[in-house]
Amino acid sequence: MAPLQKRALYGLVFGVVWTVAIIVVFITKGGVNTFSEDQGFRLIIDGLWIGGLIFYAILMLTLRKQTQVDERDRLILGRAPVVQLWAVIISLVVWTLVLTEIYWEQGIPPIFMYIILMFTFIVSAVTQSIGILIGYWRMGHDG
Amino acid sequence: MMAKVKNRIRRLRFDNDEMTQEELANHAGCTRQTIIALEQGKYVPSIELAFKIARAFGVSLEEVFQYEEAR
Repeated sequence: MAPLQKRALYGLVFGVVWTVAIIVVFITKGGVNTFSEDQGFRLIIDGLWIGGLIFYAILMLTLRKQTQVDERDRLILGRAPVVQLWAVIISLVVWTLVLTEIYWEQGIPPIFMYIILMFTFIVSAVTQSIGILIGYWRMGHDG
Repeated sequence: MMAKVKNRIRRLRFDNDEMTQEELANHAGCTRQTIIALEQGKYVPSIELAFKIARAFGVSLEEVFQYEEAR
């Protein structure tokens, strides 16, 4: 397994644990209403998602500083944003449709903008790992 | 019309005192996984990497890589 592939796998495992942890904390602490009203709770969630993003950044930056990435890895890394882009677009479409349908009468509460922003960053980080793993898988099949 | 780039890396490693994939990767400046992908025909290298691999064996580019057109 190439070093980048290994990092992507670690990133995916971390990403799943990280996402589940944020969702569990979010739901058990009261959900959207508490998030909207309690600044302390927002800080906890901010710490979780920003901390996770910093972990991802360290994971990828420390790899690039080492000479473990060659042209094939860079090619795969360069294609990963396609997966990220599609994942972000799909998640935004889902958010828009679901929120619009639920809050059609009363209007969407502004706090959802905050949640969508956070969610978009999480999706983008996790799907980078998925994009890299798909790249290795595809290259293993059809070059 | 399909074009395919084939290579003789496995053969050349064998002819060079069973040079390991790791040794070749170090000479060519790539990872061992890329050498594996090349030998399995799952990756076509850049011109630069192709030259580095040929140089590692001390042969010309066309002795390592062959371009084939199949109809």
